[in-house]
Amino acid sequence: MKFQLKNILAVVAIACALTSCSNDDDTKITGEGNLKVEFDNIFGGANLILDTQINTTSQSENLKISQVKYIISNIVLTNADGTTFTYPKSESYFIVDEATLSSQVLDLANIPAGNYTKIKFGIGVDQEQFNLGATGQGNFLATAQDAGMMWSWSAGYKFVAFEGTFTSPTVAADTSFMVHTGQTGTAYNYTEVTLDLPENALVRTNITPQVHILTDVAHIIDGTNKINLSNNNMGGMGAMIMGGANLPLITANLSNMFEIDHVHND
Amino acid sequence: MPNINMKKYLLLFTIAFQWANASVKDSVPNFNFKNYYNVFENTTLVDDCDACGCSASGGSMGFASMLNSNFVGVRYFNQVYRSTDGLYSNSPWNKENFNTIQVWARIPLTKKIQVSALVPYHFHNRETPTGKQNISGLGDITVLAMYQLYQTHKDSTVLVHTLQVGGGFKIPIGKFDEANNGSVNPSYQVGTGSLDYLLATEYIIKRKKFGLNSILNYVIKTENQKNYRFGNQFNYASTLFYLHETAKFSIVPQVGFAGEVYDSNYQYNQRVRKTSGDIFMGKIGFEIGKDKFSFGANAMLPINQNLSGGNVDAKYRWSVNFNYAL
Repeated sequence: MKFQLKNILAVVAIACALTSCSNDDDTKITGEGNLKVEFDNIFGGANLILDTQINTTSQSENLKISQVKYIISNIVLTNADGTTFTYPKSESYFIVDEATLSSQVLDLANIPAGNYTKIKFGIGVDQEQFNLGATGQGNFLATAQDAGMMWSWSAGYKFVAFEGTFTSPTVAADTSFMVHTGQTGTAYNYTEVTLDLPENALVRTNITPQVHILTDVAHIIDGTNKINLSNNNMGGMGAMIMGGANLPLITANLSNMFEIDHVHND
Repeated sequence: MPNINMKKYLLLFTIAFQWANASVKDSVPNFNFKNYYNVFENTTLVDDCDACGCSASGGSMGFASMLNSNFVGVRYFNQVYRSTDGLYSNSPWNKENFNTIQVWARIPLTKKIQVSALVPYHFHNRETPTGKQNISGLGDITVLAMYQLYQTHKDSTVLVHTLQVGGGFKIPIGKFDEANNGSVNPSYQVGTGSLDYLLATEYIIKRKKFGLNSILNYVIKTENQKNYRFGNQFNYASTLFYLHETAKFSIVPQVGFAGEVYDSNYQYNQRVRKTSGDIFMGKIGFEIGKDKFSFGANAMLPINQNLSGGNVDAKYRWSVNFNYAL
């Protein structure tokens, strides 16, 4: 019986030894792959539901949100080795729309295989691109017009459109609000954010990581800077914030509204 | 003596090799250990306490009968969990129901060596916002050899001790579905897809009609073909039992506790956050034997748990079995 025990142990040991040789495929990473970047809108932690959900701000205002759209642009990925990959500028403009599921996942293709640790993107369209003129915008001009993300060519793009109705201690009836960010006469207001990936995005020819970003739209008016819609309710016609003193405050809030929840490497 | 040395070396070698291997895998370069309280996808990936589904082949439920040390039989067990994706403050909780029918046996090869085998068939279901989902199939098979290291001579003392140690394998027969792995409860699988190693000890102490059966086992899990590795698992349980014999029946009521501790899962050698966890349960049950046949039932309720970063909540487990003593 001792003989048998030895055999059993020997088999265990050999099996361990044989199966322990795992390929470390991180040594040579070649080729190109895809990456998905998901923008998942929330309001203060709760999954955002348009129109019906009542969202309460720290200013005790109750918002029913009917539209959330924003332009994401100029994506840059940082590799673990410190190098960066800039997604081709001509393909790097996207409109994320809460009402359109397919718009919430950006499909990025032809990305060099690598272990990516950071993602940087812009909110809006950068001034350099805008300065190329209408003909320099490619298809994105029409896309933005169709989505209502453009005022006029001279007024420029809307970077964020945040709309709905609200009530507050001083505003009893459902009253509309519209927050549109973009350039003003004095500032261009394009912002960029850089986020660390909580786990590396392992882009490979056979792995398409998905970066799941939670966008807390409460930050637009209820972030570092608190914007009271009731105070912007002009003559009871609604709170329309598209410029003025509040716009730079809102723009500053935008860079804090994104957080990466996780990265799937499937 | 040479035999014993040989055994020791082999065992040490085996263990050392696994540790070495594990440490290599765990030191993933560039991994960012920033620990957000987040988990995996609402639709696709998440964690996994292997405990739940596929590896539920034994876990802390053990693979022993207090009544008969050697037997063949059939055991059914049911485990109920709730899980959530944990993404939102208003994320729904979904009920998961794990069912397993297991053919189990503990067969003596010699006086001191017994071989245990567990062959499970799983049929799990869960409720999701989009409807009920079912998976079923043959699960991973576990084979375990136990060696009796020490036993007190029966007449020598009022206390009788038995100490057994052993090891074995879990062979990946059950299907591991990667897509499923994206679910909230990564253990919602019928198999891990990996060859796993088991190290086990069992200690029994008896005084007259009372006995205490304690088990400790450690499961070393390897990476499956989908480059997913479930976290290593430590199981323990202790069961106090009382043997009441009448002319016709033996009845063994039993009460105890059991626990499981899970290490994090790894995907492509990268730690998957919120997949580690632990659970501590109380259990109560009985076995009734007549001639060579016995029937057993037991129930387990969580006393304390933290599974998958709080996104998996074990509700209860219960099992029944029907055995034939060898």
